[in-house]
Amino acid sequence: MSEVIVITSGKGGVGKTTTTANVGTGLAQMGKKVVLIDTDIGLRNLDVVMGLENRIVYTLVDVVEGNCRIKQALIKDKKYPELYLLPTAQTRDKSAVSPDQMQALIDELRKDFDYILLDCPAGIEQGFKNAIAGADRALIVTTPEVSAIRDADRIIGLLEANETKQLDLIVNRIRMDMVKKGDMMTVEDVREILAINLIGAVPDDEHVVISTNQGEPLVGTDCLAGQAYQNICRRVLGEDVPFLNMEIKAGVFSKLKNLFKKS
Amino acid sequence: MIPALFWAFLSVVSRNNFIKKTGKCIAGLQRICYTDFHRINAGNAALWGKNMSQPVIIKSNKYGLHLILDQSMPFDQLLDAVAGKFRESDKFFKDAKVAVSFEGRNLTQQEETMLIDTITGNTSLEILCVIDNDPKQEDYMKKQIELYQMSIQSPYMESGTHFYRGTLRSGQAIESETGIVVVGDVNPGASVSANGSIVILGTVKGNVYAGLGGDESAFVVALDMDPIQIRIGDILAKSPDKPLRRRRRRRSTKESASPVPQIAFAKDGMICIEPLSKELLNDI
Repeated sequence: MSEVIVITSGKGGVGKTTTTANVGTGLAQMGKKVVLIDTDIGLRNLDVVMGLENRIVYTLVDVVEGNCRIKQALIKDKKYPELYLLPTAQTRDKSAVSPDQMQALIDELRKDFDYILLDCPAGIEQGFKNAIAGADRALIVTTPEVSAIRDADRIIGLLEANETKQLDLIVNRIRMDMVKKGDMMTVEDVREILAINLIGAVPDDEHVVISTNQGEPLVGTDCLAGQAYQNICRRVLGEDVPFLNMEIKAGVFSKLKNLFKKS
Repeated sequence: MIPALFWAFLSVVSRNNFIKKTGKCIAGLQRICYTDFHRINAGNAALWGKNMSQPVIIKSNKYGLHLILDQSMPFDQLLDAVAGKFRESDKFFKDAKVAVSFEGRNLTQQEETMLIDTITGNTSLEILCVIDNDPKQEDYMKKQIELYQMSIQSPYMESGTHFYRGTLRSGQAIESETGIVVVGDVNPGASVSANGSIVILGTVKGNVYAGLGGDESAFVVALDMDPIQIRIGDILAKSPDKPLRRRRRRRSTKESASPVPQIAFAKDGMICIEPLSKELLNDI
């Protein structure tokens, strides 16, 4: 039984690609056979974040157009032999693929993989339609900002209309210091506005930037974001995992400072 | 190759044979044999238009196709007729590269474009040029086709090399049947591919494919060579996974303002990248 998950957000820059890379890698770490599909034709990034850019020979568009077989276009991950990437073309645009073609491609991949993760482009146009065409469930990524939440809300509406069975929310880039001061919405606020199941909350962590630049997902490492992503993976698999306490990071010094503030 | 096929048909195969062979595909050819062509051409095309029962007649000469169009028919219908005729004969034309000329009707620029679109849309023909209907046309067609044939016979000729000026950014790609010179950088996500060699007067951080047709004598020269992927002939090499080299390089470029130009070439099934030197160039 394989599951097709689309990672989407509506707004750009909230962390769809990072989430796809980390959740995919996390699932592979747990022994699942996973394929990541980049559907952002013309603005591909997933290959860069995965550090597999230099291996691309054939792309999703080549597969759809019949220039090669699926197996030829799949790129095996550097670390995990059960993790594959299907990159997309950079020199084409979204109209190169249709939702029906995506559906057919996914049905073909279902035979070989436990999880198929689709990295959705920003926006609600053709690229989005392609990405959600064959999805069983969706992870909606948002940040605790009004603009991102507004877009996520629109996306949820569209996914419901598309009859995607299961929708889960990931709140990304939370800054606990700002939340505490009341300058940022809490995870609970966001969940209440969007009213769907919360599957993960990821803190704003500089390690994410470093890992992205190095092309190595950080899931499973002992930094906060790495833990958060691993928890998301476990929840995707159906485990019941308590949410992270994101305040662990506060050192002795800041604790002291807080003490003084109070007194 | 296919124009050569036309040529062979007309010069080697006897005329009768030719008509028999193509008669199935090209209606109209049965009625006008090749020698008539010049006469029609010199004479009054309009006269022919009136007598024609067919809306369009396709004739071939040494270098391409000659279309005789019905004068009185509405243009839409004519387009349909042209589409039909070419669809029928698609198999025969295959992916030939030809010059085209029209006769029997005064065409506006728009109509001419529509006709050409119809032809290319219904066949895999590649139209190299359109010839105006005048006595010099055959000479001109001849020249065009011969030029093309020359370029495919010796694809690596320096004279056919393309120039590109400016930076190639992510998603941009240039391709050439001959060689390419890029005056500018090739950024990650951009690609340069050529049947011949590639020279880049700038930094290569994208993909370069030289010798696309499988020619391993092709080479790549760049002022700063740091491609994501490099392909020469059928050999493919990718950049190292750990960006160690890049970091070192960045520092070194800071120290010396002008990096050493490098050349990539195929040797024993591998791609070697070495600083450009006179000896190396002499070897290649």
